[in-house]
Amino acid sequence: METLKDALNFRDFSRAERVGFGLFTVFLLIFPWLGAGSFVKTVMIQFLLFSLFGMGWNTIGGYGGQVELGKAQYVGIGSYAVALMMVWWKIPFWVSMPIGVLIAIGYSFIIGYPLFRLKGHYFAIATICTSLVLQDIFINWKLVGAAKGIELPIHEHPDFLYMQFKSDTYYYYFIMILFFFAVFYMNGFRKSKLGYQLRMIKDDEEAAESLGIDARWCKIKAYTIASAFVAVGGGFMAVYNLYVDPYSVMDLDLSIKIALMAMLGGAASMWGPIIGAGFLVPLDRFLGSWLGGQKGLIGVDFMIYSALIMIVSAYQPRGIWGIIEQFRGKRT
Amino acid sequence: MAFLEVVDLVKDFGGVVANNRVTFEIHQGEIVGLIGPNGAGKTTLFNCIVGYHKPASGKVIFKGKEITGFKPFMTNREGIGRTFQLMKVTAGMTVLENVMVGAFCRTDERNLAKIEAAAILGFLGMDGVMNYHLNELPIASQKKVGLARALATQPELLMLDEVASGLNPKETEEMVGFLKKIHQEKKITLFLIEHVMEVVMPISQRVIVLDSGEKIAEGLPNEIVKNERVIKAYLGEKYAKGR
Repeated sequence: METLKDALNFRDFSRAERVGFGLFTVFLLIFPWLGAGSFVKTVMIQFLLFSLFGMGWNTIGGYGGQVELGKAQYVGIGSYAVALMMVWWKIPFWVSMPIGVLIAIGYSFIIGYPLFRLKGHYFAIATICTSLVLQDIFINWKLVGAAKGIELPIHEHPDFLYMQFKSDTYYYYFIMILFFFAVFYMNGFRKSKLGYQLRMIKDDEEAAESLGIDARWCKIKAYTIASAFVAVGGGFMAVYNLYVDPYSVMDLDLSIKIALMAMLGGAASMWGPIIGAGFLVPLDRFLGSWLGGQKGLIGVDFMIYSALIMIVSAYQPRGIWGIIEQFRGKRT
Repeated sequence: MAFLEVVDLVKDFGGVVANNRVTFEIHQGEIVGLIGPNGAGKTTLFNCIVGYHKPASGKVIFKGKEITGFKPFMTNREGIGRTFQLMKVTAGMTVLENVMVGAFCRTDERNLAKIEAAAILGFLGMDGVMNYHLNELPIASQKKVGLARALATQPELLMLDEVASGLNPKETEEMVGFLKKIHQEKKITLFLIEHVMEVVMPISQRVIVLDSGEKIAEGLPNEIVKNERVIKAYLGEKYAKGR
């Protein structure tokens, strides 16, 4: 009960933050009626999806301070669980998605247990490796479609059970609901015992242990929460794209994007991952299509993209949110 | 029955023997000082008791239960709190939040943890700086945060590693006052490493002296300052004559 109250209580944010988030909520609710084109809608869905990923990553990567670069494997698990169960046994999305999340939770325990014996850069490298290994397995695994991936059967009529709709608007609202669920969850998380303990671990792990905190167990818990979040997003990706292959859902590129967006926006802050995704997803998309597609300057978008990241991180390691707080003169 | 019992504790780092067959007892309600020259193995001994190091051999028994090789968070749950000689000073959390993390050790409720943490900070006269971050505080206050944090875990035995290092005489005096208050009001047994004789001598009921990893003396403070070996190893002739 207390946890629920915490999740819905935004009173400890400043007035500006609350008003800002309120306006943003209104914008999200009416967005589909603003007459945006399908491309903009896709970008919007991507933005919400990556915000969801980023918020999940923020538990272990932001609050816990563990540089985690292997989230793509859980996107993959979520996606494949939904896709395979639908193709093999015609199991509806609403059943297969939770099962996928449970698999991701189980898998993250198995992976997390040995992984958190490592610290710092070694941990970061190990997370990349586990993700790459899983990707390689899926690339070579005939049963699950190998490198070709699997296509989801397209239903003739829109079907809520299988999450198949003609219009992107429905997908938009679905991911928006997930997004708000994540916002509330994170709002509760940052005030929870685990949230406090993780921040202590990030600050000073030795001291945290002396205060009765089982650092490794806390990290595993946070890692699992992050994995569950990401697997939900993965499940959504499967029904949205109607296609799953190891390159699109398990790539290192995706892992890095998830971590990067959260870090650029501001790790260990409530709004950081949302700001990061709101900044990078459109940039990525618009620059990519404009420079790459129309001007024939393939690759230039990546240069601009990387330069921006370098500038922000050199100026303020706590990301865009850090810069905002700096300007507001809030104590850092 | 002894409260804390250390039996034949040995800890070596490769060729260096940091603790060599150290044996001693601490009784409930005591204040025991641990002194010795630099590199005598005082902090290592602390780390072996609390669980940061695994002793090569020997036993640590707390309240009749063997806790040798327990992890630090486990010994904390058994009721041993500790502070560090050097605190990592970070901007991540406020003073209140730091102490709340300690209080979370005994409760799951945020509000209870907050009340508990505020009470401890009040006890140490830190009400005014609750919402500051660690890096904004002078060293004396940082040390007190370390103390408050450990107290918030409600220890029965509190092990303090050089709680007065870096403090000026006035702050040291204040710290001694707090230690006495903690001992009397909270009934916590204290075990402290200290270089500053002005801290150890007046409050310790018993002093243990380490030199090169071995216990060379143990006794009442005024006996210790007259002990030949201790004078030679640590105190120096001057201190002995001054008394």
